[in-house]
Amino acid sequence: MTEKVKVRIDGEVIAATAGQTILEVARANGKYIPALCYMEGLSAVGACRLCMVEVSGVARLLPACTTPVQEGLAVNTSSPQLESYRKIAIELLLVERNHVCAVCVSSGHCELQTLAQDHGVTYVRYPYNFPRLTVDATHPRYVLDHNRCVLCSRCVRTCAEVEGAHVWDMAGRGIQTRLVSELQRPWGESTTCTSCGKCVQACPTGAMAEKGWGVEEMTKKRAVVSRLSSIREGQ
Amino acid sequence: MDKVKIGTCWLDGCSGCHMSLLDLDEGIVGVLEKADIVFGPLVDAQEWPEGVDVALIEGAVSSQDDLDLALTARERSKIVVALGDCAVTGNVPSMRNGIPTRKLLERVYVEGATEGRGVPTDGVPALLKQAEPLHSAIKVDVHVPGCPPKPDAILFVVGALLEGRMPDLGSKLRFG
Amino acid sequence: MMIQDFAAFSAVREAGLAKLLPGKPRIAVGMGTCGSGNGAEAVYHAFSSEIDARGLAVQLVPVGCFGFCAEEPLVNVWVPGHPLLMLHQVQPNHVDGILNGLGHGHLPPPEIVLCKIEEWDHLAGHVKYGTGYSDVPNWNEIPFFDGQVKIVLRNCGLINPDDIEEYIAIGGYQALYKVLIDQNPAGVIEQIKASKLRGRGGAGFLTGNKWEFLAKAAGPEKYLVCNADEGDPGAYMNRNEIESDPHSLLEGMMIAGYVTGASKGIIYVRAEYPLAVLRLERAIEHARAYGVLGDNVLGRGFKFDIETVEGAGAFVCGEETALIASLESHAGRPRSRPPFPAQKGLYGKPTNINNVETWYNVAPIVAKGPAWFTEIGSPKSAGTKVFSLVGKVQSTGLVEMPFGTPLAKFIYDIGGGGTNGRDIKAVQTGGPSGGCIPADMFDTPVDYETLAQLGSIMGSGGMVVMDEDNCMVDVARYFIEFTHSESCGKCVPCRVGLDKALRMLNGFTLGTATDKDIAALDELCRMVRDTSLCGLGQSAPNPVLTSLRHFRHEFEDHILAKRCRAGVCEDLALSPCENSCPLHMNIPRFLQLYKEERVEDAFLSVILDNPLPASTGRVCQHPCDNRCRRAAVDESVNMRDVHRLIADEVLLSDKFDTMVGRVLERRQEPTGRTVAIVGAGPTGLTCAYYLALLGHDVTVYDSRPAAGGMLRYALPEYRLPKAVLDKEIELIERLGVKFQFNVNVGEQLTLNDVGQQHDAVFLAIGTWKEAWVYLPGTELTGVIPALPFLEAMSRGQEVPVGKSVVVIGGGNAAIDSARSARRLGADVTIVYRRERNDMPAIPEEIEAAEHEGAKLVYLAAPHRIVGDKNGQVRAIEVVRTKPGEFDTSGRRRPVPTDEVIRIACDTVILAVGEKVDPDFCAASGLTIKEAGTLEVDRYSLETSRERFYAGGDLITGASNVSNAMGIGKKAARNIDRRLMGEERVANLIPDFAYQMEPPETPSQSGRHVPGEMPAAKRVQSYAEVSLGLTVGAALEESARCLRCDVRSVES
Repeated sequence: MTEKVKVRIDGEVIAATAGQTILEVARANGKYIPALCYMEGLSAVGACRLCMVEVSGVARLLPACTTPVQEGLAVNTSSPQLESYRKIAIELLLVERNHVCAVCVSSGHCELQTLAQDHGVTYVRYPYNFPRLTVDATHPRYVLDHNRCVLCSRCVRTCAEVEGAHVWDMAGRGIQTRLVSELQRPWGESTTCTSCGKCVQACPTGAMAEKGWGVEEMTKKRAVVSRLSSIREGQ
Repeated sequence: MDKVKIGTCWLDGCSGCHMSLLDLDEGIVGVLEKADIVFGPLVDAQEWPEGVDVALIEGAVSSQDDLDLALTARERSKIVVALGDCAVTGNVPSMRNGIPTRKLLERVYVEGATEGRGVPTDGVPALLKQAEPLHSAIKVDVHVPGCPPKPDAILFVVGALLEGRMPDLGSKLRFG
Repeated sequence: MMIQDFAAFSAVREAGLAKLLPGKPRIAVGMGTCGSGNGAEAVYHAFSSEIDARGLAVQLVPVGCFGFCAEEPLVNVWVPGHPLLMLHQVQPNHVDGILNGLGHGHLPPPEIVLCKIEEWDHLAGHVKYGTGYSDVPNWNEIPFFDGQVKIVLRNCGLINPDDIEEYIAIGGYQALYKVLIDQNPAGVIEQIKASKLRGRGGAGFLTGNKWEFLAKAAGPEKYLVCNADEGDPGAYMNRNEIESDPHSLLEGMMIAGYVTGASKGIIYVRAEYPLAVLRLERAIEHARAYGVLGDNVLGRGFKFDIETVEGAGAFVCGEETALIASLESHAGRPRSRPPFPAQKGLYGKPTNINNVETWYNVAPIVAKGPAWFTEIGSPKSAGTKVFSLVGKVQSTGLVEMPFGTPLAKFIYDIGGGGTNGRDIKAVQTGGPSGGCIPADMFDTPVDYETLAQLGSIMGSGGMVVMDEDNCMVDVARYFIEFTHSESCGKCVPCRVGLDKALRMLNGFTLGTATDKDIAALDELCRMVRDTSLCGLGQSAPNPVLTSLRHFRHEFEDHILAKRCRAGVCEDLALSPCENSCPLHMNIPRFLQLYKEERVEDAFLSVILDNPLPASTGRVCQHPCDNRCRRAAVDESVNMRDVHRLIADEVLLSDKFDTMVGRVLERRQEPTGRTVAIVGAGPTGLTCAYYLALLGHDVTVYDSRPAAGGMLRYALPEYRLPKAVLDKEIELIERLGVKFQFNVNVGEQLTLNDVGQQHDAVFLAIGTWKEAWVYLPGTELTGVIPALPFLEAMSRGQEVPVGKSVVVIGGGNAAIDSARSARRLGADVTIVYRRERNDMPAIPEEIEAAEHEGAKLVYLAAPHRIVGDKNGQVRAIEVVRTKPGEFDTSGRRRPVPTDEVIRIACDTVILAVGEKVDPDFCAASGLTIKEAGTLEVDRYSLETSRERFYAGGDLITGASNVSNAMGIGKKAARNIDRRLMGEERVANLIPDFAYQMEPPETPSQSGRHVPGEMPAAKRVQSYAEVSLGLTVGAALEESARCLRCDVRSVES
């Protein structure tokens, strides 16, 4: 499966390998497509819908992270409509939970915060939900703050696919969807958690953090997860 | 040419945005050459005057007084700027929003008090159900996020407004 | 018995036929979930015990449902040699009679006989029941069944679903047998492709192509899945299909299994369908026992098995990737495609998923060939579709129609049109993922493409009919609430976007939304549609987007006028009666005040809401009656006649002067502003009254010598005594309104002059211009238009009416003309081109005309008027019409026939409609629309020229008194707000302290109607016909009000 194909991204002809996704090809060639639920080394799920792109000949918008390239594919990564939709998606994420950057350990290193800035979101047009959510601080080393969770499932996939423990999953439906650890047990009481902390590193926001850090102090080593996964693939 | 009239006010916030405004250092000189600050915590005026050109509003809309002041400021000002995260998003004041007002007041004034227990009813403005961003109460023309917004960001915004332009914030600012 | 060869197959078939057509009577009770819910179980047991008790030789079986839900329980009775008789609304107490008649060839009581079936085409088989019962209509002569083509439902309601032998008897499993003998899988796939069968789950993908993908997919392990996770609110065809005919589903899947190389079929069915699950499992068990399913199907060496899996009811599991996840015991969440299930499906193996109904089409196509199938339906969508027709139509049920049938056919013919005389507004197709199509587009043929063009979808075939009582904003909100709670939560647009959309829609129903929210909602919904991961999110915004497209004015009404015309959004209305009243009278208030015997307060309440309460109390079309919730108990409250009595009690008594004083007390301080009103009809008078009350200086111009407009010059004395109207106008004059009569604005005085002299101008002229019809002979002597005739009557002038009069038309002017002519002693015939219930006139008036001796000829259109040599009318010739197709007004279009009738007469009154004569406005630079009416802003009523407002007939075309007054009131409110910069109308109403609790025991009496003068006496004078309510009756009537205006006080 190393068939070479030529694709066109924003007009530029790029060589790629069949089976790669549009997002992989774009990133490998320094083209920016925003994404939140995508993380190198994890399976792609197409949940955040920020990476929607226009593909010529296809009437619908397609998610770059799950759409494989094929010979002759021509992609537009940006347009006024895409930008408007991405902005709405970011705004929706900001109103869904209680993202108070001013008191967040990840402020300054948060992918959602950065996305908002990159896309010129200086305020949100929709009313805030202000849901009442809990903080799970039962684990001795880590903390999970549902107020900051964007339900990207990167922790779920990291734990299931890289660590092999599958402590995390999603429960509930719709706006009531919640990240849960092991049959809804508090994280600290999980019998399968290995306390490896990779979920924390994979988390794009301050929803998962190491204990003991103050505002803006928690930086994440996301590359660790991606590297582990690529080393294994290489084996 | 008449000087531009600036009004500032401070709703439910920590005054940090006003501190940042004072932090303009020598930048403030340039501003004051072109503008007068006609209302706000920094000056003596008792009532928001008519004919203000630019209103800089810090803080979330949290109480009846906040709401009244915001409405007055809107009515009497040409351009309203939401200054800082509290005014733009609700920020820290909005962290109480998941809790019913009555419970919140009892937690603070009854459970949390060692003496003089009881929710005050006189002399304090009634708390609204939720602390909301400014634009949920009035029309806002410019949003300046940041907690607080950096002095140069404020200077950029005010500078543009003084020149009669709407500032293009693009990707210059972030929340927090 | 295992079927391993053809002889065995034939034997089973014979056994089945002996059950289907036994040598004795057979009674089959429709016992689907729907029938059982309507009492079919009790009927079955009644038959069972009675047959046992009498020792009758009668075969009793349960069957599924024949589809006519509104008429359940359905029972089939067959006596050898006779047609199958279908009975409807059968109750246990009918059982005795039915059984008594059986042996003697007597029919059951006519009220439960629906229709007969002489023979039935099961497609793979044919059953001849017998002939006879000439008085009973054939099944397809019943409007509900007329035009239906039963392919999918071919066996439903006729065979016992629990008996495989009956299924085989009507040709079941023959198609499968043929496929197994022919051994040409590719040929079968070609047949399905050639049939153009499309997936019936909604997306409409070609089934043959899907099968081909699966057949070509590598690997020994492949799966077939039947999607029976039917979750759309209002759709239940799949449930009925499975409950009534489970074997057809199995046969379809087995044929597909053989030709695609799959050996396992899974039916994913909702756990909420216990009867469907039970019947499926029984059918599978029987099929295994008969060797139809298993390791050696029908002895042909083909191995196939089917199992059922019960879904837990998540709507999203109808999406194929979520369904697969659910089958694999994962949470039912969709995943991105590609890979498609045909490549990587259940357990990673190639999988084909089809909807229940798709599978039902397979065996008939194999049996009868693709050419037969493509003959039915439209070019791109072959065959039929089963629709569940529900909502505000008279006949609800499952309807199987060829693709391409216009929506009007479903709604007006099959559904029988609206219920309780309500106008139908829209139909929602495709369930929560579909959209609302407005009634003026009902000529749309139903297929996949046309529905998509209108922004809706075919979906599973749900058709929910909405009438004027449905609020389209609330409907959109309902569907978003549904999809919002069924969103799986995986992708951002669907999870958060629908939540936001729901909150925004709530804002509309509460009246808190702003005009910007329409655009914001539209943008958000497009984003959710275009970026969601699966079909649920991609289609969930459809109800909102189509409503915004076809019913935007309703959204605007909710925020700009704070009005919900349907009266559904309770925060925007006081009560249903108030909401429906063009003048928004606070009806519960005056009823309560009258009930408290505070007549003067009641009068003040009435007159401050409506300046002409005695006139409208006589002639209003009383929309309040249609909305009154008391009608759910017995009959609506007679609100109109109560306010008529309240008004009469003051206006026609010595209380008048005192009450004028009390109204004057409400007049606001003089404002110094002046307003001119052109037209002293109901619209102009109403506007003048309120503006005067609000303190403005008002002058009313009219070309006639007195005020009242149509009320004075068109309404006959016997309906509205002018003495009553005079009192009302006197009150308006005493408020300070100045009248300038005999002034023709546009001639003696230009609009520009009027505009210069006043701060605002309100134009309210009426429809005095006759709409002319081309008709040979209109130039003859004796042909007169209705309005001049009525005006001459009202002025007491001589009218040239002969001895026999024909009135052409069906509106109020036609009836008024007819009744007036009767009073002149003429013989009167009213000729109308449509049917009686299509007549726009008030029904009570038509009835009164009949009582007074007017003859009515329906379905007749004027052809020509015949004159004698002196140019005098001698006769009129009319063409018989017949009701044709439904037009977009929901009425049947009259189609002329060849039959011409001649009616001898000497006078013809033409009452075919009126229109405004707005030429003078155009001269002043006001924009006239194509329809001949003035262009105004819908909400402010301002014309294209500033400070010039317009209302009444001028903007709506001919209307009725109350609507005209409602616009006059709205104009006064808008003009006052414009002049004074604030909303002041509410200040006019004093604080009436009155009981704000619902009555503990509302009056138990029925509706009171006023007495009338006897018809024979009526035609001899012009005295008022209606005698009005007595005080006692009115008091009781006001005590019948349930007080919908009282809101719960609980916090």
